[in-house]
Amino acid sequence: MDYSFDFSLILANYPVLLRGLVVTLELWVPCFVVGLLVGFGLALARLSRHAWLRLPSLGYIELFRDTPVLIQLIWFFYAFPIIAGVQLSPFLAACLGLTLNTSAYCAEIFRGGIQSITRGQWEGARALGMRHSVILRRIILPQVIRRMLPALTNRGIELGKVTSLASVLTVHELMYQGRLLSSTYYRPLEMLSTVALVYFVLIYPGSYLSMRLETRLARRG
Amino acid sequence: MPYEWDFSAVFQHFDMLLVGLRNTIEIALVSIVCGIGLGLVLAFMRLSSRRLLKFPATAFIEFYRNTPPIIHFFWFFYALPVLMNISLDPFSAAVLALSTQSGAFYAEVFRGGIVSIESGQWEGCKALGMRHSQAMRRIILPQAVARMMPPFVERSFELTKTTALASTLAYADLLYQAMQVNSETYRPLEVYTTIAVMYLLLLLTASALARVAEHRLTAYGRA
Repeated sequence: MDYSFDFSLILANYPVLLRGLVVTLELWVPCFVVGLLVGFGLALARLSRHAWLRLPSLGYIELFRDTPVLIQLIWFFYAFPIIAGVQLSPFLAACLGLTLNTSAYCAEIFRGGIQSITRGQWEGARALGMRHSVILRRIILPQVIRRMLPALTNRGIELGKVTSLASVLTVHELMYQGRLLSSTYYRPLEMLSTVALVYFVLIYPGSYLSMRLETRLARRG
Repeated sequence: MPYEWDFSAVFQHFDMLLVGLRNTIEIALVSIVCGIGLGLVLAFMRLSSRRLLKFPATAFIEFYRNTPPIIHFFWFFYALPVLMNISLDPFSAAVLALSTQSGAFYAEVFRGGIVSIESGQWEGCKALGMRHSQAMRRIILPQAVARMMPPFVERSFELTKTTALASTLAYADLLYQAMQVNSETYRPLEVYTTIAVMYLLLLLTASALARVAEHRLTAYGRA
């Protein structure tokens, strides 16, 4: 093994990677926020008494959870414009795919959380004359949020990793920039290793937080 | 103007998609088997009391859990050959990426299952005069395996979905074949919708099989 590493190219090109990092964050944060909101709506629909709300949301959740996310991104970039009649930019297609994908997973977390509250709580609140939405807001959600935090943090981490797939649609995020540099300079080892390291530094704090939340939750019982 | 769906192009090239499906299943199975082997080694290293074993396993697992899979694919395909002065075909690079990654996740599944067994069981074994390895094999593992099943199945599904990334290395999996069909027929909507349904059916079938397997593995608990 007599390969000589040359990391000077990384230092010379760090603005390229930095720009990729910014785009990664631009994908990550908005998609997660919107995904959480859509996911919450889906979870409520999934738990609804009305079949016309429950069945479509069930189908949606299963469809997005049981197909590879890369296919979803490609579908939104190449196939969706044909039905919709509008051409999406790679960034928008990636945003749409990532948001809908993560919303399906968030919906399952919310549903699990809401269902983990015993029925007695619902009955008690109803006996006090509260409406469904009031019970949810005042009684159920405050108890559930803390329980769901580790799982939701985990979801955020997964989404952060999945944003790298946007590179396949030529979105100029971190992974794409890394591939660009590695093919420009024929230095895949240094470039790809650096990109991997940047992702690790970006994602590990979230992982650590989720682990801490989980142990704290376990201790409280 | 409503779009007119036309699946005839897809059906004409359906044999190509079937080849892709077979390759997807093949790479998933090979990677699951390799991943289980690696995961077992990593789990026992991490459970060991020797820091020399524990630390590398923890670092490996944390690295893989906190970096995106696509970077592993590219790293094994483009970077590893430079480092080792070898060349890898797309299949080997993809299997390496998938099985190291799933190995890291499986290791946590195995470790979690073993750790979840109450310490009283270990103490009971010791009181009966069993050695550590005997207790593990006879008492702990049989119980832990049942608890590992649900997360194990979930990880295997994740891995099967991740195989789609092998298409970026030009491995002829289902997605790659679909891209080929698409470039011949210019029917992206039909082609990509068809393979999405194929993946869905593959995973639904696998999940039905997994439920049967799980039911059998945990049978003694219900008896």
